[in-house]
Amino acid sequence: MNASSLDSIPHRQGLGDTGSPAASGRHADAVRPPAGYWRLALPMAGKDGAILIDRRALVANLGLIVALLILGGLSLCLGSVTLAPLETTRALLGQGDAMNAFLVQELRLPRLAAGIATGAAFALSGCLMQTLARNRLATPGIIGIDNGATAFAVASVVGLGMSLAPPPLALAGAATATALTFGLAGGVGTRGYRFIVAGIGVGAVFGAVTQLMLARVDIDTANAAYPWTVGSLNARDPASLWALGAALVIGLAISRCIAQALNVLRFSDSVAAGLGIRVRHCRRGALMLSVGLTALAVAVAGPVGMVALIGPELARHVSSPRGVPLMGSALAGALVMVSADLAGRLMLAPLEIPVGIVTAVIGGPLLLWILLRPSRRIC
Amino acid sequence: MRQNSQRCAPLSAQRLELGYGTGRRQARRAVIENLDITLPAGQVTAIVGPNGCGKSTLLAGLARLHAPRKGAVHLDGQDIRRLPARELARRLALLPQDTKAPEGLTVAELIRFGRQPHQGFLRQWSEEDERVVKAALSAANLTDLADRTLDAMSGGQRQRAWIAMAIAQQTPLLLLDEPTSALDLGHQLEVFELIRNLATDGKTVVMVVHDLDSACRFADHLVAMQGGRIITAGRPSDVVSEDLVRTLYGIDCTLLSDPATGSPILTNMRRTRAAVKGDGAQGTSQRCQTGA
Repeated sequence: MNASSLDSIPHRQGLGDTGSPAASGRHADAVRPPAGYWRLALPMAGKDGAILIDRRALVANLGLIVALLILGGLSLCLGSVTLAPLETTRALLGQGDAMNAFLVQELRLPRLAAGIATGAAFALSGCLMQTLARNRLATPGIIGIDNGATAFAVASVVGLGMSLAPPPLALAGAATATALTFGLAGGVGTRGYRFIVAGIGVGAVFGAVTQLMLARVDIDTANAAYPWTVGSLNARDPASLWALGAALVIGLAISRCIAQALNVLRFSDSVAAGLGIRVRHCRRGALMLSVGLTALAVAVAGPVGMVALIGPELARHVSSPRGVPLMGSALAGALVMVSADLAGRLMLAPLEIPVGIVTAVIGGPLLLWILLRPSRRIC
Repeated sequence: MRQNSQRCAPLSAQRLELGYGTGRRQARRAVIENLDITLPAGQVTAIVGPNGCGKSTLLAGLARLHAPRKGAVHLDGQDIRRLPARELARRLALLPQDTKAPEGLTVAELIRFGRQPHQGFLRQWSEEDERVVKAALSAANLTDLADRTLDAMSGGQRQRAWIAMAIAQQTPLLLLDEPTSALDLGHQLEVFELIRNLATDGKTVVMVVHDLDSACRFADHLVAMQGGRIITAGRPSDVVSEDLVRTLYGIDCTLLSDPATGSPILTNMRRTRAAVKGDGAQGTSQRCQTGA
């Protein structure tokens, strides 16, 4: 089918064959990739099997991975008890001092994992939603998902007749807010600003409910609920973390598959449809992925919505302008989250500043700097 | 089938009804009702008519951007609703009006997107892709500007780049929605000449055009629409008359024949008395507020 439809196109003088006859007789390995790409031939996928690797994106992602490894290592080493890198490595392997092994394996490693997973999930879902809405402000936090999760989690802590733990309720809250937002906006297929406006309204209602609940309980209960209102990696729940990890792996795989379609969706819907993209289908899938990842991440760390804004922005800054930096956003988000958590633990030690506050304090100015500096083009 | 797509009419619509909005109000918002159209193969067809007459809606319907409420669009005898999206995009290219590109995109990068329907997850760049992109660049006379960003180009060049993207789709059919609006005379000519070349190369082109003079000059087949219906269709020199111009636009004019090309030219134009009184050209001006 493929070959025949290619052949059915008339190639007469002046259109089809501008190259010499010799040029069309070249072998596939002589194919030159477009500027800025490497072409990796994949003979097992047929004669024309090949993938393009964006050089700039590859370098950026590798850089982000290296930075993440360094910061991850640091966050395993540093804390109330500072360990040398060698000691940390031995503790990771279960050798050496039992106390150190406990510290690294039971306390710091899960926290690091939670930071990486939530940061990546927040930023990936932010990048997806920004691409769908063609608006850099459209993050899941803006459309009320974070606030819904917070309201439900706080309700659980202040004990409004519920025996469930906060994380599953946060998940339920995120789902409720999402359902309300899309219900009010008239369906998932809704495009443009409608669902953003509806989401802002839903978020405001949930925010008010949270404040109301906090105002009506005693100070100790309000304190206990506090991390759920700002976002923290302190009160993570292992089950939620595993769920998030699994969703993240699936989410990254899916976004790799729809990356090219999303890339085309940066144009208008009609251009994308004209190029054979199933716009509604793709839009719905990416939106559900974005909402699901945010909900699961909020259930682990609370509302750290700022990462959904900073992560993709940072990724766009370092990565290639030729594509939607999905992987880059996930890596950048993880990096932001881990470094913010590390800073929050160290700055006022032994006091701990919740990661949500650090991302807001450091992330705000960082975001401003990225947005306000004159854009520089790479081509 | 390969031969057929060249000879018989590749694209046609029967009893087509198109409209915006869903739900109970939809019956009131039918933009096009019970429309039949057949587009001649290998020719340039221009769809003309006043604002809000449903030209762009018809084009969108022919390209499956709008699902028909009634009737069907057939491509080489197949209902286009039954074609997979990518298959359709390999046979019919559409250049819509809202062509906004991501910031910093270069001409070559834009044209590469035209290869999208031919590529796959494990087939991202073939020799064919390289050759076709190069050919599209040269067909649109943009080879020297390949690495220029779209924001740094003139309107005419940018529009040629978009048409080159559609060329790279390698479809026998090309639908263009007002390809020359917002272009000055020189740039309009630049785009129309490119379109004529495409038809010479065997493509079937359908374009929505505002300017009747240009439509007459550059199209082989003219479709005049008003109020969601086709009033007349045929060779421009056969169908364009002073009556038609009055019906379409509410304008009295004198038609001359272009001494160079023989195509009709409108001169001595003035609004009809009815149009001056303010009810617009046969009541279509109201629709143009909401439609188009």
